[in-house]
Amino acid sequence: MPKKWLLLLVFVIVSLSLMTYESNRQHLLPFKFLSSALNRFHETKTSLLNNISAPFHRMMLREEENVRLKTEIGKMLEEQYACREVFLENKHLREILALKEKERRYVTSARVIGRSSDQWSNTLILDKGTSSGIAKDMIAVTEKGLAGKISGVTDSYSYLLLVGDINFSVAVRLQENRAEGVVSGTGFRKCQLKYIPYEEEVKKDDIIITSGLDMLFPRGIPVGFVSSVNKKDIGFFQDIEVQPFVDTSKIEIVAIVRKE
Amino acid sequence: MIYLLWSVVFLFALVMQGSISLFDIMPNFTALVAFYAGIKYGDIRGLTIGAVIGIIEDSLSGAFIGPNLLSKGLVGYMSSFLYEKFFVWNPLLGTISVAMFTFADSLTVFLLRSIFDRMPVSAGTALLIIVVQALVNAPFGLFLKPGKQQA
Repeated sequence: MPKKWLLLLVFVIVSLSLMTYESNRQHLLPFKFLSSALNRFHETKTSLLNNISAPFHRMMLREEENVRLKTEIGKMLEEQYACREVFLENKHLREILALKEKERRYVTSARVIGRSSDQWSNTLILDKGTSSGIAKDMIAVTEKGLAGKISGVTDSYSYLLLVGDINFSVAVRLQENRAEGVVSGTGFRKCQLKYIPYEEEVKKDDIIITSGLDMLFPRGIPVGFVSSVNKKDIGFFQDIEVQPFVDTSKIEIVAIVRKE
Repeated sequence: MIYLLWSVVFLFALVMQGSISLFDIMPNFTALVAFYAGIKYGDIRGLTIGAVIGIIEDSLSGAFIGPNLLSKGLVGYMSSFLYEKFFVWNPLLGTISVAMFTFADSLTVFLLRSIFDRMPVSAGTALLIIVVQALVNAPFGLFLKPGKQQA
């Protein structure tokens, strides 16, 4: 038998004998010593590894904490927005309540649940209809002023024609010089004040209120203010642009009042 | 110097082995060291280095001494014959042989532990562990070339 194979055989036999011995008894003492010495090395190795990995571990923990805190901040912001929303709604309702107490023709208040689906009509859909006492041509106001009039109504819903709509008109008076005219919608943001004679002195920022002469709108409701005046050299009337007080894009709740 | 280098390589393998875990399965990098010792220096030195690696690993494992001693020694001894007598090294053969020797090493340790102590895990789990260890080690076969006298 070659020497190498003999060596291998001896190696295998010694190993198996060692294992047999150890399986029946305790570990061999010299190996126990080796084991404890190597365990110390193992401990050192683990300690070294921990020292190396600790900063990364801390970074990971910080990262996790960061993510958790960001999530919590997100939740808190959501809650804050919700609280703010409730606060603003409360403010709106208080204003509507004040309006209700002030306005003797008050019918009900209604919430805006929809808008006209196209760009070309300025109407809002309200969540109340005839069952709540709303009728066609009733007036919708907010705490800021005139919002529009009811153009159509069903049992549960009604349609509010806004001040800016091309089909909307209201008899008005300039608060300052008492000149009478008609405010009509232009279909886009601003309105037009018509029929103000050329000789009338109209200034920018003059306030416009309803006059009540159309037998439809109660008198004294704020409509808007003069944003620009263009005195033409020809014709009988001035070209006056009016900015409504009510921002129609931000209406949420309106108070419905009876017509004059 | 060469012994120092081998010690560093072995310690590095040991550290990496204890640090990496794939699906809760530790790799068997020390088998690679024993394998490389065999193909690099021949049977007797391969056996010696493998046995030393095995006995240290056994000691560190906290279990009884023997399974790794025998298996790593055998890997170191047998791997030397691979390119000395049977094959010429190429990357594919290197990959396959590393996987086979790792498989054999892990299987030997499992069997010896089962025989002389207790079965460490169920047979199915053991097979999974052994296969994963063999697959993890397999790519190293591309780089572990034998010494010139074996090629």
